[in-house]
Amino acid sequence: MLDAAWAGLVALGTPTAIFFTVVGIVYGIVIGLLPGLGGIVAMALLLPFTWGMDFAAAMSLLIGAHIATIWGSSATSILFRVPGAAKSVALIFDGYPMTQRGEASRALGASAMAAVLGGVYGAIFLAISIPITRPVMMALGPAEYLMLALWGLTIIATFSEGSLLKGMTAACLGVLTAFIGMDVVTATPRFTFDSVTLMDGISFPVAMIGLFAVSEMMKLMIKGGTLIERTVTEENSSVWQGVRDACSHWGLVIRSSLLGLWIGVLPGIGQSVGSIATYAQALRTSKHPETFGKGNVEGVIAPDASLGANEGGGLLPTLALGIPGGEGMAILLIAFIGLGVVPGPQMLTHNLDLVYTLVWVVAIASIVTGIFAILLTPILARVPTLNPNVIVPLVLAVCVVGAYSDRQEVSDVIVAGVFGVLGYIMDKYRYSRANFVIGMVLALLIERNLHISVSLYGDWFIFQRPVALGMLFLIIFTTAWPFYKNWKRDKELKKVAQAEHGSAS
Amino acid sequence: MQSRARTVLAGIAASAVIAGATVTGAFAQSPYEGEDVTLIIPNSPAGLMSQYAHTLAPHIAENLGARNVRVVNHQGGGGLKGSNILWESDPDGMTFAMTNVPTLLVAQLAESPGVQFNATDFTYLGRVQADPRLMFTGKPSGLKTIEDVRNLDRPFVFASQGTDEDFYTMVVLADALGYDLKIVTGYEGDADTSLAVIRGDADGHMTTWTQSAPAVEAGDKYAVLATTFERYEGAPDVPTALEIIEDPKQKENMQAISSILVLGRGFFGPPDMDPEATEALRAAIEKTLTDPEVLKEMKEKGLPVSFNSADAQKENVDRVFANGKNLTPMFKEAVTKIQ
Repeated sequence: MLDAAWAGLVALGTPTAIFFTVVGIVYGIVIGLLPGLGGIVAMALLLPFTWGMDFAAAMSLLIGAHIATIWGSSATSILFRVPGAAKSVALIFDGYPMTQRGEASRALGASAMAAVLGGVYGAIFLAISIPITRPVMMALGPAEYLMLALWGLTIIATFSEGSLLKGMTAACLGVLTAFIGMDVVTATPRFTFDSVTLMDGISFPVAMIGLFAVSEMMKLMIKGGTLIERTVTEENSSVWQGVRDACSHWGLVIRSSLLGLWIGVLPGIGQSVGSIATYAQALRTSKHPETFGKGNVEGVIAPDASLGANEGGGLLPTLALGIPGGEGMAILLIAFIGLGVVPGPQMLTHNLDLVYTLVWVVAIASIVTGIFAILLTPILARVPTLNPNVIVPLVLAVCVVGAYSDRQEVSDVIVAGVFGVLGYIMDKYRYSRANFVIGMVLALLIERNLHISVSLYGDWFIFQRPVALGMLFLIIFTTAWPFYKNWKRDKELKKVAQAEHGSAS
Repeated sequence: MQSRARTVLAGIAASAVIAGATVTGAFAQSPYEGEDVTLIIPNSPAGLMSQYAHTLAPHIAENLGARNVRVVNHQGGGGLKGSNILWESDPDGMTFAMTNVPTLLVAQLAESPGVQFNATDFTYLGRVQADPRLMFTGKPSGLKTIEDVRNLDRPFVFASQGTDEDFYTMVVLADALGYDLKIVTGYEGDADTSLAVIRGDADGHMTTWTQSAPAVEAGDKYAVLATTFERYEGAPDVPTALEIIEDPKQKENMQAISSILVLGRGFFGPPDMDPEATEALRAAIEKTLTDPEVLKEMKEKGLPVSFNSADAQKENVDRVFANGKNLTPMFKEAVTKIQ
């Protein structure tokens, strides 16, 4: 095994492999920074160039680019509320408030370091988890996916500050938006008004571009000022502060990485759902849950660590069962075949060195991306402080290109504009846009898995699936615990107040 | 001043010569000479269909004499959106498409909402590849052969993504082979249905041999039935549905389904396409897909080719609509059951 691990590392030491790792990462960061173009597009565009390459160089190029897009798309979420890809949407919740506070460098540093640690942990877990992948995959099915999505839903209350009714309304609006298009279960058109364009639904990244970025630019045009708060005169944090934050929250990073890894393993759960579930986990385990949504660095660290580890997770079913964990891994599967490597369980017996090459690629690409990210942060962090006369046209141009490039449809640019107006109204009247996102991301996952669970196991499926039942108890416990703690604290405060009142009188 | 005038005159003369040469050339050459041609892919830019298109486009352009064959993705509505766009496009031959043809035919036969075309009227240009679909069962189901499925004393649970060609094929198979069927739709892709079968949540699903071969070799799945006319060479021990079905009417239905599935990934153009352009495009596609160098390149890239002529493609489509009319009520009933 150690021989195979060493051979895997040696294969990556060639000048060609090193060159393509760097090329892949630089390309991935650029693609990631462009909204609408994520890791899958990056890999799909590179795929034809890998024919004829050796295995290590091809994997360095493809996986390097895929990993680098994570930080690229996180950076735009943090700086402008423009998610580079759907999976980075959770970075908006706390990353952007940090930018508004003049802590963009810290947020970008924390994001980069969390992704590095997530990637490295993901690679280590990938190497360790290969033997247990199969039993875990066998244990988790639609009922358990449903519980994971329900866990994500529990954070709606966090973003419903002021009015739970408004929070729920925003989430319902998100759910209704997700229902536009063909029903995922019966292929019945819903809310399409006989429009073929609407049959494919509202693109999630396009809606996010409108809801957050376009609406923010509208606000900036109307109110004036800069993206960062008026009271903050300049960027007042450093990238190293963020790096330290990620390192000091090692427990959170490990928890998030593990969650990200297993979400990557399971086909049928998207990364965007994964990042929201990880965010929910960070919120539920934080000592300061009340600061989430207002610029808590833990809200940046958790989703990025999860996304970093997700890569390793996606590789696991590809290697253990020959089943790609997601669309990105399906492209990798094509690359494997093109390179003459047959994926599947036999890789663990016949090509263990290649498996370790993949493990090393994930770890090395994560680290190199982190270095690039740290070098780029000081430049990128200055952008939000620019004059609105510069930033509004710049961001709007990026939004238009991003909305169009998602599906190459002009109608998507119009959709982004409509959601921009909606986002502006929601912000003005304090309807949580974060809740809208949560509703939109989780709606179809819940619908799909609820339907499959009921069809397979009947109405009382929860009692037939012990793992799902355990997860349900965990959801109830983690949701109720903060309320119990608050109730207990209030009770104690009352007792103290009564005692003080008694002794005073 | 004189020198400037001379330069201008020389420029005009040169332009006239070039223009004249171009015009003369245009009369003598194919309608595609120096043109930009658009190839619509009604599927995701990251999918296998786009990989085929991007690899084949430069070769088709070269054989056409065109300047460029530009690949444009119009994904959505399960391939219907791009096909609707092609249906409305100018039939001058400068726009054609490539997709999984069975999806279009099944959508039309099932009278799916969103179909704005008549599949029989498209101008077929040649098949690229048809990877046969096989029915697989999972190890936990204990069903190793199609006879085990037929003798099952409970409904056969079939994992499906939605109302695609696999869904409808299974409806016809269950009707013809006489087993109870419970279709569970909503799975996200072949990987998801495959995992459901390996896990034992569902009894079976349909995929290509290539996608399931690792799981079959590992003993997690069994290939029980082929939907092809002849036994599939990759799994010669697996019987075809047509071998087993005895009732002539049921056999006719299955033949219609097999004719649909054999169409595979193919090129097609809008209705009433310019005859000269059609001929040139069919010839260029045939030349590309039978060129040993191209076939070698495609094989190396894991993109197999099994070319079939435009005439054979059209013949199959006509046969489907001649024999497949009685499938529509069966399809509609199956959809109603899951709604």
